[in-house]
Amino acid sequence: MADPCLDLRAVTMRYGEGPDAVAALASIDLAIDDHEFVTIVGPSGCGKSTLLYLVGGFLRPTSGRIELRGRPVTGPGPDRGIVFQRYSLFPWLTVRGNIAYGLEEKGVPRAERDRIVEEHLRLVHLEGFENRYPRELSGGMQQRVALAQTLACQPDILLMDEPFGALDAQTRRILQDEVRRIWRRDTKTVLFVTHDVEEAVALGTCIVVMSARPGRIKEVIARDFDVADVDEFEANPAFAALRLRIWRSVKQEVEAARP
Amino acid sequence: MSSRARSYWAGALARLLPLALVLAAWQAASMSGLLPKAVLPSFGEVAASLGAMLRSGEIVPHTLASFARAGAGFGVAVAGGIVLGILMAQVRFVERAVEPVLLLIYPVPKPALIPLFMIWLGIGDFSKVTVIALACLVPVVIATFNGARGVDEMLLWSARARGTSERRILWRVVLPAALPQIAAGVRTAIAVAIIVLVSSEFISAETGLGYLIFSYGGVGADDAMLAVVIYLAALGYLLDRLYLAGLRRLMAWHAFAH
Ligand SMILES: Nc1ncnc2c1ncn2[C@@H]1O[C@H](COP(=O)(O)OP(=O)(O)O)[C@@H](O)[C@H]1O
Ligand SMILES: [Mg+2]
Repeated sequence: MADPCLDLRAVTMRYGEGPDAVAALASIDLAIDDHEFVTIVGPSGCGKSTLLYLVGGFLRPTSGRIELRGRPVTGPGPDRGIVFQRYSLFPWLTVRGNIAYGLEEKGVPRAERDRIVEEHLRLVHLEGFENRYPRELSGGMQQRVALAQTLACQPDILLMDEPFGALDAQTRRILQDEVRRIWRRDTKTVLFVTHDVEEAVALGTCIVVMSARPGRIKEVIARDFDVADVDEFEANPAFAALRLRIWRSVKQEVEAARP
Repeated sequence: MSSRARSYWAGALARLLPLALVLAAWQAASMSGLLPKAVLPSFGEVAASLGAMLRSGEIVPHTLASFARAGAGFGVAVAGGIVLGILMAQVRFVERAVEPVLLLIYPVPKPALIPLFMIWLGIGDFSKVTVIALACLVPVVIATFNGARGVDEMLLWSARARGTSERRILWRVVLPAALPQIAAGVRTAIAVAIIVLVSSEFISAETGLGYLIFSYGGVGADDAMLAVVIYLAALGYLLDRLYLAGLRRLMAWHAFAH
């Protein structure tokens, strides 16, 4: 079998030092293959964001190794695109400026840049909004722009930290379908953090359940069935069974986390 | 008239009404003899005096002289304040060195430093401009420092993940993110510049609006003195409005509070 795209070995993370230190992650081992859509689900505070920030290179692990295509991660880089729940966009740039940002930093020539921006505006259905500023857009539209901004950089792997967590249920459902569509189109590797079990099952081809803090990988479950739209999962008994199974697993951890 | 235009005019009227009432009360008090001329000349007299000054043009050279002094001090303070504030936010050593000095100057009423600066730098324009610059520097430095230090970490991460190097992050993220706060500091500096300017022109000046106020006051021409004060207030108000209108245009991306 081919080498994994992303490989975490014995990764631990503590915030701070001494008696006040917070153990956020306890020995994470995780290998993620190319083209997988991996969702990470677990109780609030179990270290999901921390795990993503480590892969992003924003934080350094206390111990352990993180390798992307065999090369150790030493800092942030455009090979890993990230979408946060909020604040991924630069408020002082228009939609166009935000999508073009990474391309400008890379030194992509103007004409090429414009072409890529147009393509990504279409991809996230934001044609006609290119001259708006983020504050003039709804939360859902802002996240579409963030997605386009990230995808325009052509990252190897897409990291998302509860990107739809602040959106209303309808917008969230529509964006879930869009992310699935985008992932199918160019089958990027995706690492998607959520605390919503349904979202984890509907999006993930591979669902990682984390334990209560300090976070460990509790189980990794493959979803071996699929549908065209997230809606169709509703009537699918296999989906309901998997959702229930994962919910029970997460619930156990939520209860364990309670004092 | 559309309802939008009507509400605009209603709003403008509501804002002007209290001012108009005060002026009317002032005029009524003078006319009824309740307010003797020796205490305060009537609004009518002051307005007439202002009208005469504007018509004769005598106020123009003084306005220009004041603008030059305030503008020079303000300009130096904005440029220097932004650089210093950014340096403080980025370099620990600079922060440690500058912060105590800043906290020390912060509460000092800057006009009180004018005599000292005149001894050091002479009684000409240089000492005046220096005091204005020092006074304006404080709000700009503080605003820039707070703005640059308070940049959301996620924005910095976002930029780094999109290929921005540490060298470019100042231009690409820190400065633009701090801009709303810097702009607010500069707005304070405009008001400070006017205050310190007028005080500095009270002493050993032969031109300027502060000089005009002081010399009219000295000869008991209270109506002319008050006319210059009102002119100055109107000028300051206009500058502030212009500045805000400019900001709204240049920083359309930001939601201004007012
Ligand atoms: N910068 C930090 N300093 C100290 N503790 C932190 C910091 N960031 C997160 N933590 C703690 O680490 C744990 C994991 O946080 P996080 O990764 O944000 O969890 P999740 O995303 O799963 O909700 C939490 O207990 C949180 O309080
Ligand atoms: Mg989180």
